[in-house]
Amino acid sequence: MRSSKALLYIVLSAVFFTLPLYTGVYLLNVMDMILIYMALALSWDMLLRSGQISFGMAGLFGVGGYTAVLLHLNAGLNPILSIVLGAVAAGVLAWLIGEAVLQLRGMYFAIVTLALAEIFRVIVRNLPDLTGGPEGTVLPSAIFAGNSTKTYWLTLCVALVSVIASEIFRHTRIHFALTSIRNDEIVAKSSGIDVFKYLVFIFMITSAIQGLTGGAYAHIYGFVSPEGSFSVDFTLLPIAMALLGGMHSTWGPVVGAVLLGVASEFLKLQIPYGHLLIYGIIIVITVLFFPQGIVGTLGQKLQRNR
Amino acid sequence: MSPLGKLKQSNYQVAMISLIFIVVLGFWKPHVLVEGLQRGCLYAVIALPMALILGIVGIINLAHGEYMMLGGYLAYCLNVYTGMDPLAAVVPALIAFFLIGMASYRAIIKHVLGAPELNQLLLTFGLAMVLEQAANLIWTSRPIKLPLKYVSSSATIGSFTFGTYEFIYVGAAIVVLVGLQLFLKRTGMGQAALAVGQNPRGAKLVGIHVDRTYLLVFSLSIALIGAIGAIFMTRHSIFPLVGAPFTMKSFCLIAMAGIGNLAGILWCSLILGLGENFVLSFRGYAGWADILFFALIVLVIIVRSRQRQVK
Repeated sequence: MRSSKALLYIVLSAVFFTLPLYTGVYLLNVMDMILIYMALALSWDMLLRSGQISFGMAGLFGVGGYTAVLLHLNAGLNPILSIVLGAVAAGVLAWLIGEAVLQLRGMYFAIVTLALAEIFRVIVRNLPDLTGGPEGTVLPSAIFAGNSTKTYWLTLCVALVSVIASEIFRHTRIHFALTSIRNDEIVAKSSGIDVFKYLVFIFMITSAIQGLTGGAYAHIYGFVSPEGSFSVDFTLLPIAMALLGGMHSTWGPVVGAVLLGVASEFLKLQIPYGHLLIYGIIIVITVLFFPQGIVGTLGQKLQRNR
Repeated sequence: MSPLGKLKQSNYQVAMISLIFIVVLGFWKPHVLVEGLQRGCLYAVIALPMALILGIVGIINLAHGEYMMLGGYLAYCLNVYTGMDPLAAVVPALIAFFLIGMASYRAIIKHVLGAPELNQLLLTFGLAMVLEQAANLIWTSRPIKLPLKYVSSSATIGSFTFGTYEFIYVGAAIVVLVGLQLFLKRTGMGQAALAVGQNPRGAKLVGIHVDRTYLLVFSLSIALIGAIGAIFMTRHSIFPLVGAPFTMKSFCLIAMAGIGNLAGILWCSLILGLGENFVLSFRGYAGWADILFFALIVLVIIVRSRQRQVK
């Protein structure tokens, strides 16, 4: 059983890694977007497993992007290294914020993260010497000189990192700690779990993934700007994807990202100015009628039929 | 000394310090004082309905600012199609948003009342996005402002000129605060609402219709915020994203005052309003005023969590 599962993973990764061999540039660009959002959706879901909700993806995503671009431009660092350092910056920032506000959880934490994108946008706009101010900063050339095969591999790596992190979190003792914190904090505390430490840790890790994604995105498109890098898209879409696919799992956000990612390509053409409306409606309907999402609901059905 | 005496003494000290602060500020930067008062009252009047929903229905409504934005657009549309003055549009906005509040409660909010906090946050976040993007589709993201003459009225004392129209916010804040206090303390319905806010099960046991109370409080709050949107749009330009910062600032104020403390919101709003205008008054640093509320909320959370640990 175990070996057949491993074989499945190997075949799947082989298919994904060799995808550029038999598809065109357009499909690769679509895949880039899907993988970027997949990483964000997964990182959001990982934090959700602890019962905390973050609306701050766009903020940490932008921090990663700005750090990566500025380090590459001003310090002349290798782009890949600068992307990793962007992740580190987002992680450190999240650690500081987490230390300060994770003592009070639930809605306090949620609102603080909701404000993050706005706060970072204000900061970036007010430091024009460093960040280029409201105009943003443009790189002389995109990463790998815009080679779509290599950028695809980059986003694939980012998505793989998040999938692997998510799987590690699901299959180690961290999973039990987070689940018990979500279900009943007092019970978790009395069975010896350091709730605060775990929450800060998971917030830091998920934020680092968001920073990594942001760095990759910024290098692929070759620019950062206050409006673009902290756009609400990077909060709204991943939440809609993770919810639609199903919370508290690895496959839920992955399925949701693929479904909505493909759908969004179509929607952008149909209603260019209001396609975000659809994601809002998806969030409302999913929470109201099937909070388990597609994967969760299907899983329940299958178990019942057995 | 008894704890009560200690409390009174510290209150007295706080009052003295703030009085000295206000007098100094009044001589040094008078416009900060006046505009801070006006802005603070605007924050208060926006935060009060949100506090009411949070205190009694127990839901944090992340779509709060979006309802205000819609109120502004309603007043705008009434003005464009019927020529009605936006200030007169407060009355139709109250009625329309009471109905909108009822519809939102029945269709959406009611179903997550028993659900985990997580689902409530997600749902109202989704609702905020829907309202924001719907407004974006209908009215586009272009800021809209009506050319009204009376909003630029001003008064001069000595060499100091300030806008007088914005005192409407001060009036609105006092009316809403006093009205809500009277409603909650003096009327049967208000007392029932307070009881439900304290303990829904207990309220149900003594025969209060909990669901109807929730419906009433939610619709009333939405009606208020819609009407405030109409007042807001007379002075400020409106666009689909205009409400979002107010949602966060309102929550910041509620967290500062403590949930259920309506009068405290007014004082906290004045602190935020004065603070923001103080930062705004320094040329070159005005852009930083928008992160003041964030610093405040982080500070409040740190202080509150320390307090909780001590207990």
